[in-house]
Amino acid sequence: MSKVLTVRGLKKSYGSQTAVAGIDFDVRAGEVFALIGPNGAGKTTTLRIVATLLTSTAGEITFLDHDHRKEPDFVREKISYLPEEAGAYKDMKGMDYLRFMAGFYARNADEEKEFVDRAAAITELGERLKTKVGTYSKGMTRKLLLARALMTRPVLAILDEPTSGLDVLNALDVREIVRRYVKEGTSVLLSSHNMLEIEFLSDRVGLIDKGRILDSGTPEELKAKHNAKNLEEVFRSSIR
Amino acid sequence: MKRFKNLLQKEVKELVTKQLIISLAFTVILFNSIGQISKKEVQKAIGVQTISALDQDGSAGSQALLKSLESARFKIIDQSGKNKDEALAAAKAGDSKLLLVIPAGFGDSLAELKPSEIETYSFMRSFSLIGARGQVVVQSVISALNEALSNNFLAEKLPGTDPAGLKRPIKSRDFVVVKDRIAEGSANTIAGMLSQQSMLIPIVLMMIVIYSSQMVISAVAMEKQNKTLETLLTVPIKRTSIITAKMLAAGFVGLISAGVYMFAFKGFIGGIGDEVSSAGAKAGGAALMAKLGLTFDTTGYIILGISLFLAILVALATAMILGVLAEDFRSAQNMIMPLMFMVMIPYFISLFADINTLSLPVKILVLAIPFSHPFLVAQNLYLGNYGMIAAGLGYMLIVFVILVIYAARIFSTDKILTMKLRFGKKKASVA
Repeated sequence: MSKVLTVRGLKKSYGSQTAVAGIDFDVRAGEVFALIGPNGAGKTTTLRIVATLLTSTAGEITFLDHDHRKEPDFVREKISYLPEEAGAYKDMKGMDYLRFMAGFYARNADEEKEFVDRAAAITELGERLKTKVGTYSKGMTRKLLLARALMTRPVLAILDEPTSGLDVLNALDVREIVRRYVKEGTSVLLSSHNMLEIEFLSDRVGLIDKGRILDSGTPEELKAKHNAKNLEEVFRSSIR
Repeated sequence: MKRFKNLLQKEVKELVTKQLIISLAFTVILFNSIGQISKKEVQKAIGVQTISALDQDGSAGSQALLKSLESARFKIIDQSGKNKDEALAAAKAGDSKLLLVIPAGFGDSLAELKPSEIETYSFMRSFSLIGARGQVVVQSVISALNEALSNNFLAEKLPGTDPAGLKRPIKSRDFVVVKDRIAEGSANTIAGMLSQQSMLIPIVLMMIVIYSSQMVISAVAMEKQNKTLETLLTVPIKRTSIITAKMLAAGFVGLISAGVYMFAFKGFIGGIGDEVSSAGAKAGGAALMAKLGLTFDTTGYIILGISLFLAILVALATAMILGVLAEDFRSAQNMIMPLMFMVMIPYFISLFADINTLSLPVKILVLAIPFSHPFLVAQNLYLGNYGMIAAGLGYMLIVFVILVIYAARIFSTDKILTMKLRFGKKKASVA
């Protein structure tokens, strides 16, 4: 399987504070690669760097054989990023928000319509898309944002805690949508501290703590290696 | 370009809200209504006014005074036959603005050319400036009568002599010199006209700077508060385009808002100013200004326009940086204060002093504020100080370029997410 993203020796510091202490991982075409770890482990910082929001202190990132640091515009054309605490413009109607975001990626009106129709289908919000985003529940907003992230069929979707704060049914919906798009060719780099969710969603996993990747592999490989029943036990075994 | 247009449309739509339109419409209606009310009040004040008169003398002289007042558009209610207290009570109970008491012996004193006394009682029913206008007019009528009576006396006693020449043996002809032009007129008139004209520049500048800056600061702060900034920064559009779109939208909406506000303000001022100031005096002052070359030609207006435009750009770029420092919409409102002070400092200094004649350190300090330069353009144009104008324009341009480069740098680096200024905390912190 070809690599979409290669990360080598990635470091990020804020003054004397180290957020990411030199990590390596790859994301292959058509897979879900998940970074799992506790709060403050460096997951969000890593995702923000890959999404071109932050610059790394050291290390190299290659995206589709392009230098990530030198060609951020190329990267932004091919990725989409869903931050953990993302919001949408509250005074916009759901449909207008999707149209606005599609306007940055579509080359013509037909493509824009295609993106918006796809996003509308993902949200399953129907008539509610004609109302203002400010009136949506958390679950509805999250689905709208996930639809925005996937509507262009990005090469790499970067999803930070995609089901954070959602109830069981909404979280299930979101996971199913992500799996469906991976089947259609999108690669996903996601983070979560919900290890059971990761087990369901991910093809491969990187266990991260204190800015370092402790171990990585498929959930099955990791469970076998650490003689554990689930990823939570794998993580506990890794940090010891 | 398509992406930029997409973002610009969103920025404009976000700023042109129902609330903004309602507030602008309300401002126009409110100011125009106040203007119309004031206009009516002024017309009432300078129109026919009712005064009461108690003529205890009944001589030809007292009758002449009352006739003169009638011809000066006063409606006189005769209180004859009452004593002073009764007349005062009657006048107070009615709508008289003033009670004029002409004591007995007034006419005789006039005839004997002794100082004659009258008493005026003004009823202050309101404390507005135009409320006291009745007494001012009465005083001017009395002063005209004094002039006429003393002229008659002098003509009688010294036939063949010009009373005016006798009363004012020295008459000055005043000339004003500006650069190489000389014109007959008063320096006070020129100063008055210039201060009236230059008052408009700071008001326009302040309005636009406040409106536009507030919009830019809010536009950036709202992206942070709504958690939309991170998403916007990862879409395929150049960071400089994000800055430009926000500045352009805020500049455009700010200009329109300030224009509407100025229009409303004009309606308010027009209600008072046009009626009060004499058209003749205005025309005389304007002719004097023209003779001295103290008028703007097309180039002058263009230079003034460029200066105002550069000041607005500087304000927008500063606001963009301040917007990044703000955490949310509420803190964004506080961020506008430093900008307002920067506009108000040169405004207040120019009200009370000439910036050019300030001590060197203060002058340097004032000139370092980019917003001082539009204040100086008008007088530098009049005085032909083109070097100063060019330096001012150049300085504003340099400041703008530096600010835009800095803003672009903030938007292109981690600073856009990590720079914060929390009020109540000592320094900027890292997220």
